[in-house]
Amino acid sequence: MPTRVRLRLPDLDLPLALAAIGLVVFGLLVVYSATSVPGAHQGLWTRQLMWAGVAFGAAWIAASIPYRAYDSLAWPLYGISLLGLVLVLVIGTSTMGAKRWIHLGPLQFQPSELAKIATVLLLARRLDHPKLDLRKLRYWFPPLLLTLIPFVLVAREPDLGTALSFPVVLITLYFWAGMPAGNLLLGLSPVFNAALFMVTGSLGWFAGVLIVMLGVIRPKLTTLLVVLAINGAVSYALPHVWNHLADYQKRRIETFVNPGNDPYGAGYQIIQSRIAIGSGGVLGKGYLKGSQKALSFLPMRHTDFIYSVVGEELGFLGALTVVILYAVVVLRGFRLAMVARNGFASLMAAGLVAALFYHIMVNMLMTVGWAPVTGLPLPLLSYGGTALLVNGVQLGLLQNVALRRQEI
Amino acid sequence: MLSSTPVRRLREGRFRLAAALVALGFTLVVLALLRLQVVDHETYTELSKENRVRLEVLRAPRGAIFDRHGELLADSAPNFSILFRPFPSESVAAALVSQSERWIRRVANLVELDTADVRGRVRDASRSGQSVVFRRNAPVAMRAAVEEMKSELPGLEVQVEPLRHYPNGTLAAHLLGYAGEINEAELDSLSDGGYRSGDLIGRTGIERRYEDMLRGRDGAEFVVVNAMGKRVSTLSEGPPQRPEAGHNLYLTVDLGVQRAMEDAMANVERGAAVALDPRDGGILGMVSRPAFDPNEISRGMSWDRWKQLSEGGANPFLNRALQGVYPPGSTFKIVSMLAALRFGVARADTRLAPCTGRYVFGDRPFACWRPAGHGVLDFIEALQNSCDVYFYQLGPRIGLPHLAETARALGLGDRTGVDLPQERRGLVPDEAWYDRHWGAGRWRKGTMLNLVIGQGELLVTPLQLALMTAEVANSGRVVRPHAVARAGDLPAFRPERPTQAGLEADAAAWSAVHAGLEKAVDAGTGTAARVPGIEVAGKTGTAQNPHGQPHAVFVCYAPAEHPTIVLAFMIENSGHGGSVAAPLAAQILRHVFLPDSLQPKFHPARIAPDTLVELQHAD
Repeated sequence: MPTRVRLRLPDLDLPLALAAIGLVVFGLLVVYSATSVPGAHQGLWTRQLMWAGVAFGAAWIAASIPYRAYDSLAWPLYGISLLGLVLVLVIGTSTMGAKRWIHLGPLQFQPSELAKIATVLLLARRLDHPKLDLRKLRYWFPPLLLTLIPFVLVAREPDLGTALSFPVVLITLYFWAGMPAGNLLLGLSPVFNAALFMVTGSLGWFAGVLIVMLGVIRPKLTTLLVVLAINGAVSYALPHVWNHLADYQKRRIETFVNPGNDPYGAGYQIIQSRIAIGSGGVLGKGYLKGSQKALSFLPMRHTDFIYSVVGEELGFLGALTVVILYAVVVLRGFRLAMVARNGFASLMAAGLVAALFYHIMVNMLMTVGWAPVTGLPLPLLSYGGTALLVNGVQLGLLQNVALRRQEI
Repeated sequence: MLSSTPVRRLREGRFRLAAALVALGFTLVVLALLRLQVVDHETYTELSKENRVRLEVLRAPRGAIFDRHGELLADSAPNFSILFRPFPSESVAAALVSQSERWIRRVANLVELDTADVRGRVRDASRSGQSVVFRRNAPVAMRAAVEEMKSELPGLEVQVEPLRHYPNGTLAAHLLGYAGEINEAELDSLSDGGYRSGDLIGRTGIERRYEDMLRGRDGAEFVVVNAMGKRVSTLSEGPPQRPEAGHNLYLTVDLGVQRAMEDAMANVERGAAVALDPRDGGILGMVSRPAFDPNEISRGMSWDRWKQLSEGGANPFLNRALQGVYPPGSTFKIVSMLAALRFGVARADTRLAPCTGRYVFGDRPFACWRPAGHGVLDFIEALQNSCDVYFYQLGPRIGLPHLAETARALGLGDRTGVDLPQERRGLVPDEAWYDRHWGAGRWRKGTMLNLVIGQGELLVTPLQLALMTAEVANSGRVVRPHAVARAGDLPAFRPERPTQAGLEADAAAWSAVHAGLEKAVDAGTGTAARVPGIEVAGKTGTAQNPHGQPHAVFVCYAPAEHPTIVLAFMIENSGHGGSVAAPLAAQILRHVFLPDSLQPKFHPARIAPDTLVELQHAD
C-alpha cells in the first residue's frame, strides 16, 4: 500500500544536495583539465557530463520511490548482487590483474557497487528489529554472515579496497543499532590482533592493547574468557600459519595487504602524486596549468589520482574546498540518519554514508601518501560513469530519507 | 516509537561520536595537505620543475649453492651491462638526440651491434619507457669506452648486474641446472611473481626447483634525475627498499665424490651416473653425459649455438640421470630374486634344472648370456653369475603381478620424488598395461622370461636404479633421493620425507640377495668393481636396445656391511656392464675410500658407442 508522496523542495536536504552537485561540477572541471593533455583520454569529460545527467536522473528516481519498497526489496537485490559477484569471478574482464567488471554490450559495470548498496539495505532491514539485542548471538551473527559473503567474493576479485567497505558498513550499523562501543571493540579485537601482527611482526603490541582495552571496558567474566580464548587462539595460530607459508605466498599477502610495498608500481604513483600536490602550494599553479599532470607522471590522473590534479592546479585552497564539500555531505548524511522517521531509514542512511566516507578517506589519504594504493576512485569527483551513477543512487536514497522524515 | 526519547537520545549520542570520527578523518587529510603544500612546498616545486623522480632497481643477489662441505658450486659475480634508458616524454630534445642517425651509428659501433638492431631497441624502449639492454657481460674495454663517451651519448648507461657463475664449469651441471635471463613469455605468465625484464630465472636443475628460495627480493630506491637522465640525488622521502638476498643452498653433494665421478665418466659419450647415500637418500654426485657449461648460458648464449647444442644427436641439456629411461638389463635380477623369495617361489638353496646355455619355452629357445652354460646353481650363485636360464625358469612361477609389485616397491617405474625438475617415470608394465597394448590375453607367452632378466618393455632411470640399490642395501627401508640438505637462514628447511612404504621381505631373503651381490663382485660378473680392502656388493647389466650396442649398466653399494654409498651407471651403447661400467665404479670407490697414496694411476680407455670391448667375462 504505497503512499504517493509529492517531492517538495522544502523537505529536501539542501546543503547535502548543493554540496553534492558542487562536487560533481568541480569534478567535471577537473576531469576536463586532467584529460586536456593530448592523449588517449582526451575529451572524456563529455562522457562524464552525460553520466552526470544520468546520475541526476537516477538520484531523482531513487529519492521518489518510498523507502518501504527498498525495505521489502532488500533480499532480492542482495541475491542478485551476489549472483553478479559470482559471475564477475567467472566471466569478468580483468584490468590490472583484478576481475572487477562485467561487460553488457557497450556498458560495463562493477557488481561490487550494487552489492554495496544491497548489503546496506539488507543489513538495515535485519537490524531494524523491535526486540533487537546485539548482545545475543542470534541478532548479531546473521548480519556478520551476510556481510562476510560479499566481502569474500569481492576480496577474491581481488579488490581488497572495495571489499573492506563491507565490514566498515557492518561495524557502523552495529554501532548505529545500539551495540555498546565496548562490546564492538572487543568483538573486533582478533582483527586488530591479526592486523597489528602483520604490521609490527610481533604479538607484544597487541597484548598491550588488549590489556588496556579490557581494563577500560571491564566486560563480564564470561565475555572476558571468550575474548581471551579467541585472541589466544589467533595469536597462537598466526605466527605458525605465517611461518609455514612459502616466500612467494608471504609476498603475495604482503602486496595484498599493502600494495604500496610494490615500489615499482604503486610507490611510484604515490611519489608523483605527492610531488603534484606539494608543488601546487597554497594557491595552485592555476586551472589547466598543472605540469606534473601534463607530463603524464600521474597515470590515473582523471580517475584514482584526480585529487592530485586538484591539489596541483588549485592548491591548498582548492583541495580544502573539496574537503569541506565532502564534510558537508558526510555530516548531513549522518544527521539524516539521526532524524530519520523509522529504524530502517535511519540505518540505511548511516550505512550509505559510512560507505561513502570510507571511499573518500581511502582515496584522499592515498593521494597524499598516507594510505596504500587501493585503486578506489574519489566519489563524485573521479571520472567513471557507473561509479557516478551509483553515487547518485546513494545520494538519492539519502534525500529519500530526508523527504519522508515528516511523513506520518 | 518514532520520536520516543530513548531512541532519539541513542541516535544523538551515536551522531556525536560519528561526527567526531568524520571530523578527525578530514582533519588528517587537511594536515597532510598542509604538510605537502605549505611546509614542503619548496622541495616539491624543485622536484616538479626540471628534475624528475625515477625508480632505480637494486637487484637482490641470487643465493649461492654449496656442496655439503661448503665448497662453492654456484654464485653470482658482478656483470656489466650496457643499456639505453629512454627519456621522459618532455625531454624532446634529448629524445631526438638518441633517435639521430649519428647517435645510433656511434652506439652501434661501440656495442658491436648493427644499426638496425640498435634503432629498433631504442624505438621499443622509448615507446615502453623501460630501459633496454644492448650488451650483457660487456668486456672491460667496451665498458671503459662507454663510460668515456657517455656524456656525448645521452641515454647510454653502464649497469652492474649479478651474473650467475659456476666456478667448476661443467661439473654437476645437470644437477645444478642454470639460470638465464627471463624471456617475454615467462614475464607474461609470472608477472605477479615480481619478475622484471632482465631478471635471472632458474631454468633447470636446482636453479629451477629452488627458484623461490634462491631468488631473493629486489629492492628499489627513488632517485632524482635531470632532464638529460643524469642522476642528481636520491630522494630521501621515497621508501628505499633494501634488496633481500636469496637463500644460500647447501647440497648433499660431496664435491670429492662428484669430481671422482666426473673423472670416471670423462670419456663416456652418452650416459649417466648417480651416487646416493643409502642412509638418507642424499645425492652424493650426479653426472650426465654429454654435459654443458652453464657459464656459457648465463653469459648469454646465441640462438644458433643453442640450437646447435640441443639439436645434435645427443642433447647435452638432458639430465640422463633422471630424464633418460633405459631397460635395466640384468640389474633387474635383484628385483626378480626378491620377488621369488618373498612369494615363496624359490629359496636361497633352491636348485633348478642345469643351465646348458639355452632354455626352450613353448617352442621358442631363450639363450643364456654364457653359451657354454652354468650347470647346476643355487639361487645365490645364479645372481652371482647372472645366469639367465635360472631366472627364465622362475619367471612364469613368479608371475607378473608379484614381479611388478616388487619392482614398484623398490621405486622403479615411478618418479622418485627427487627435488629436481622434469623427472621421468619410466615403466614397469603390469597386466593392465599389456592388455591395453597388445590386447587382452595376447601377450602371455615369453613375456615373463624377458621381464625377469630386465628386458622387454621395462624402462627405468639411472636415479631409480640408484634408489632401488639403496633400498636393497637398507634391507627394504626406503629413502627419498634429494639434493638440497640445508638452506641458509631457513633452519626449518628439511628435505622431504619418502612417501612410499618400502619393501617387506624376511631376513633370509635379504641375506641371500646381499650374499649374491657380494659374490657377484667378488667372483662373479662384476669383479671389475673390486676395490682392495673394501667389500663391494653389486650387479652388472647389459641392456639390449634397438639403437645399436647394448647399454652397459652397473649398480653397487659399499661397504657391504654398513653401506655409505650407492652407485648406479648407465653407459649408452657401449657394451657389457661388467667390462665397461663396473671399472668406473671401482675407480670412484677407490677415490672415496682409499687414501690418496693408494690411488692407482688410471687411464681409462675411450668408451664410446660401437666400441664393444671384447671380454670373456661379460654377464
